[in-house]
Amino acid sequence: MSVSSVIRRVAGAWLDGDLLYRFRRSPVAVAAAALGALLVLAALGADLLAPYDAFDPASANAADARLPPGSQGLFGETYALGTDPQGRDMLSAMLYGLRTSLVVGVASVGLAAVMGVLLGLVAGYCGGLIDAIIMRTADVQLGFPAILIALLIDGVTRAVLPREVHERFAMPVLIVAIAASYWVQYARTVRGLVLVERRRDYVLAARVTGVSTPRTLFAHILPNVLGPILVIATINLALAILTESTLSFLGVGLPATQPSLGSLVRIGNEFVFSGDWWISTLPGLLLVLLSLSVNIFGDWLRDALNPKLAQ
Amino acid sequence: MGPGRAAHGGGRAAMIFVLGRLGQAFLVLLAAALVSFCLFRFVGDPVNNMTGQAASLAEREAMRAALGLADPVVLQFVRFVGKAVHGDFGMSYRFGQPVAGLVLERLPATLELSVVSMLIATGLGLPLGVWTALHRGSRLAQAVLAVSLVGIALPTFLIGIVLILVFSVRLGWLPSFGRGDTIQLGPWSTGLLTGSGLRSLVLPSVTLAVFQLALILRLTRAEMLEVMRTDFIRFARARGLHRGAIQYRHGLRNTLVPVVTIVGLQFGNVFAFSIIVETVFQWPGLGLLVIQAIQFGDIPVLAAYLVLVALCFAVINIAVDLFHLAIDPRIRISGGARGAA
Repeated sequence: MSVSSVIRRVAGAWLDGDLLYRFRRSPVAVAAAALGALLVLAALGADLLAPYDAFDPASANAADARLPPGSQGLFGETYALGTDPQGRDMLSAMLYGLRTSLVVGVASVGLAAVMGVLLGLVAGYCGGLIDAIIMRTADVQLGFPAILIALLIDGVTRAVLPREVHERFAMPVLIVAIAASYWVQYARTVRGLVLVERRRDYVLAARVTGVSTPRTLFAHILPNVLGPILVIATINLALAILTESTLSFLGVGLPATQPSLGSLVRIGNEFVFSGDWWISTLPGLLLVLLSLSVNIFGDWLRDALNPKLAQ
Repeated sequence: MGPGRAAHGGGRAAMIFVLGRLGQAFLVLLAAALVSFCLFRFVGDPVNNMTGQAASLAEREAMRAALGLADPVVLQFVRFVGKAVHGDFGMSYRFGQPVAGLVLERLPATLELSVVSMLIATGLGLPLGVWTALHRGSRLAQAVLAVSLVGIALPTFLIGIVLILVFSVRLGWLPSFGRGDTIQLGPWSTGLLTGSGLRSLVLPSVTLAVFQLALILRLTRAEMLEVMRTDFIRFARARGLHRGAIQYRHGLRNTLVPVVTIVGLQFGNVFAFSIIVETVFQWPGLGLLVIQAIQFGDIPVLAAYLVLVALCFAVINIAVDLFHLAIDPRIRISGGARGAA
């Protein structure tokens, strides 16, 4: 019920507002969105697009290790983007890595948004002690860099869980770690907006007519505070993707069996000094394209939704 | 209300403001201490970590009692805080040395790296931000702005790798790992006084500075644009003041408050990001110690690092707040209804 109405309203704001019009008028935003869409499609279609199965040990061929881009393999395979130290096709590994990076990024942003919005709604609407507890926690957490919090959460689970168990749950753990380090911004923003909205007549009307508190919060107030959340989520998507790749690069993110773009760069980093630039640089380049397209789009969205800059 | 009463009220508001901020800093430190105590006490078994497999059950029990692990948890926490205040965080599981010594030994490398990159970032970011704001329409300013967005989007570790590839591997101009030669000044080992030390610092500090530079540039530009739109600037223009005077004496001065705030608060982030840079460049600082501690499950080192970072943040936050108090009279009156940036 309330979920579908929320979706309808957000879609409505997109379509009948002037946002779409502005979007079409901004070539930079269109280019960024197109690039982003292309990367998402490539990630989704990794199974079809990848020339070789990156997870199949049989596709790795030690004789073909560390071949530069455009090389021919021992059995006549062509490696458009070269091979990694295990003789895996870089292009295939990168496509699967892109998918992993996107999945972790989207899931952690989604989780962070749900956590932050819920806590912000409750804090702003209920006030009092609950508000104080939630917001003081947020204040304390805001004092620490997000990457450090994610690093600590991941590091601690690593110390607690036995190695095999941790490998199996590495991805969910990573998602929770990143989400837990980015919820604060949503909570603060939503709380501030709720404090304004709750005094509005429509909220009063809802309460007077006996609408329940959860329904007032989710069906009436939530749709009115979604704009800024959308902006934060877009910008945080780039941050979350970078955080994941950074953690994986540092060797505390995903295990080698589930390589993301960051883990691929990590593998390549060991061969920088032998001049094998493609193993680290190419996945890195893909990561930059992804992060750049999301960042540019987020930047545009923030300006487009900011009435102050509208003149 | 007479001026005397306003001043009196202002003094009290300022007092409340400072006390509130100190309380918050205390809260942050306490939270960090609690988390690091829980890490130390509950992650793995400290006795197991220290004795190894060969110890008998009786020996373990003796050690448990000697370490005070059989006491009530609250008492243990109080003892932990008491020791932490004196800089005692126990022994590293991995090195078998006191953690405090390890941390102090590594601290100068990280601080030098962080300070130098923050100087680079501020020294370039601030003037560029002002310039791009004042020359909003120009092609070059647009280009600088576009490049700065790339600087935000680039992952730090990748910047480091590319710099190594270009300047160390291909050109062979600069070293790609370590600190070079250092000179011992009392407890402080510095790489700033030797040629090889300075050369080793170039790539890591530039890598660490890129993101901050882009951030400071964009923030300065946004603030400057915002200030230049306000009424008092319009009024200054109407008064026929010289353009330079308006831009620098009125515009820039009001821009500096939020910019200095962010520079201060970002220093903590630089500290955290040095973990990445130190990994890429094998820079023998705190970051490298911490990432190895995470990989090896060396909890006492992690606990000490957490408390150190919290302390660092608390000090920076208070410094930034005092700066606000000194520079922004509105806080002295309202008692600090400032929304954190």
